[in-house]
Amino acid sequence: MTTVQSGSRTTVNVNGTAVEMYSGGNGPPLVFFHGAGGSNGWQAWHEDLAAEYTVYVPSQPGFNGTEAPAWVKTIHDVAHFNHMFVDALGLQDIILMGSSMGGWVSAEMAAMDDHNVDALVLVDPAGIKPREGEIAEIFMVSAETRLNQRFYDPSQVENYDNYARELSPEEQLVVHSNAITASQLCWKPYLHNPSLPHTLSRVGTPTLIVWGNQDAIIPVECGHLFQQAIRGSQLRIIDNCGHSPAVEKRAEFVGAVTGFLNSL
Amino acid sequence: MAHDLEVFWFSEQPYGHVTEDDLEGWESGRMHFPNTYFDPEKAHVLYSNYHDQYQLADEVNFDGIMSNEHHSSYWCMKPSVNVDAAVITQRTRKAKIAMLGNVIAVNDPVKMAEEIAMLDCISGGRIISGFVRGTAVETLHAGYSPTENRPRFEEAHDLIIKCWTDPGPFRWEGEYWPHRMVNPWVVPIQKPHPPVWFPGTGSPESVIWAAKHRYPYMNLGSLLDLTKQLKGIYHETAAEEGYEAGPEHFGYLIRCLVADTDEKAQEIGRTFLWTENHRNRGPMEFNDPPGYQSREALRIKMSRPLIGTGTMGRRMTYEDLQDAYNIIVGSPETVTEKLRHIRRDLDPGYILIYGNEGHMAHEDVMRSVELLGTKVIPALKEG
Repeated sequence: MTTVQSGSRTTVNVNGTAVEMYSGGNGPPLVFFHGAGGSNGWQAWHEDLAAEYTVYVPSQPGFNGTEAPAWVKTIHDVAHFNHMFVDALGLQDIILMGSSMGGWVSAEMAAMDDHNVDALVLVDPAGIKPREGEIAEIFMVSAETRLNQRFYDPSQVENYDNYARELSPEEQLVVHSNAITASQLCWKPYLHNPSLPHTLSRVGTPTLIVWGNQDAIIPVECGHLFQQAIRGSQLRIIDNCGHSPAVEKRAEFVGAVTGFLNSL
Repeated sequence: MAHDLEVFWFSEQPYGHVTEDDLEGWESGRMHFPNTYFDPEKAHVLYSNYHDQYQLADEVNFDGIMSNEHHSSYWCMKPSVNVDAAVITQRTRKAKIAMLGNVIAVNDPVKMAEEIAMLDCISGGRIISGFVRGTAVETLHAGYSPTENRPRFEEAHDLIIKCWTDPGPFRWEGEYWPHRMVNPWVVPIQKPHPPVWFPGTGSPESVIWAAKHRYPYMNLGSLLDLTKQLKGIYHETAAEEGYEAGPEHFGYLIRCLVADTDEKAQEIGRTFLWTENHRNRGPMEFNDPPGYQSREALRIKMSRPLIGTGTMGRRMTYEDLQDAYNIIVGSPETVTEKLRHIRRDLDPGYILIYGNEGHMAHEDVMRSVELLGTKVIPALKEG
């Protein structure tokens, strides 16, 4: 949870709903949507990407203490809301990027409407049910189990102590309310949408799928299923890496993303 | 006291063959403890014993029998309170049948309304229909997000009451159970509908909900001080709603066993602590997952020794629990005196006797039922 000073925090009004957002950098717009644990704010790898892109890191509705509009009840609704967020910022030709649950939301957004999306980057996304394995239980397990599932090798994680430390009451409250929102959005069907492999066939945007080879939450098999579902997409598997390659294999991850974007 | 005290018999119907050793090593005492430990042949014998206890309770003039429902729990072999209530209708002649109750948030409310109405007709109007939110495990086991329990409960409650009180067919534009045609043929014999009870342990939200609906609140064995606080909340809420709450709005569940001598009762009663470190053991994500209840309710819960304390509350010994009047065991005279203390302290309209546990011998429990019915309850009702 490295917070770098250059990412500044603002609030964006999306049709009357306040969205907390960090942003920084220069260049084409890159919008990143966080996973089910909520936004960790401005991270070191955001800073890396900010060298070439203007990076936007919003909290999604109901996360990080923000209000969700009453109508936002499903991942589809979140995807619609996020489109409204992009519109509210007036962004054109964005790089749409999301991790885990945020990757699922980004995939749904692209399937709905990708005319304003120049590139799609999905990082260990939820959204497609594996055929062989299963998506690990993330709600009915202890916080310790959840943390153990996330990383392949904690020694690869900068500031790992920050993830494992005891949280302050205020932080616990945020974690608790993020879990409530994630439960409401992802419980059933569990972290996937049976229609998604089919609706993704409409996506024509150049797409990179990044996966930690040892992802213990969403098996790497799903990376291949995403690749099959999105025509022309590239799959980059990062070895010795768990569910969060941007954190666990930061340099390799950033290299994969910038290499892909520069090739377009 | 304007309201006559009523005493109910209750058995959790535990699968008493489970031991501490069996439970060691599993991640939790409920969802993770495998059902391969369940032997249906042994359960057949146990069910039969428990039903004999029901019949005897009715014969020795208990006012009612209470039943309940839990899922994925070795300590309660009742995944359907309505099935158990159906048995009670046939094994008893006059006892009220208090179901405490149906986990309506995770069932089809129209079918619930039909089944309870059917039970009311079969029993000739002896049904008390409790509605419960259940422990969080009930919701998790049923596959629903814990965040949905409360709104589903509210809608299910409203739909069931409408099934009982409004002529069909009608339309129900609910969020969780939208119906265009509802017309249950069977309706309750009691009018406008069977009495509704609502149980709770430490949650003020539950007390307030019950009081707003004027439903009797049954406290499930919290310590006396906490119970008095919760009862106070009921009375305050009732006053705000414009009515005065009395004993008829309040019941109390207590672990209780009677034997011929204090010594024998002390020995048998120790089984009330059977596997109690395991029964609700598990991560917070099982017992109180985010969104299941308010933070205030969780804070209060930490301070109470629920039946089966689990990992949430503070530990008390058998002797501590007796000193606190949370477990009552003894001869008829001893138990009568202690129940009188509870009656003076709480003035409940209903005392619910949690009368057996674990591997207590069937003969011992039958003797307890008999002594309660023939000696303790008559003495208690005399004042």
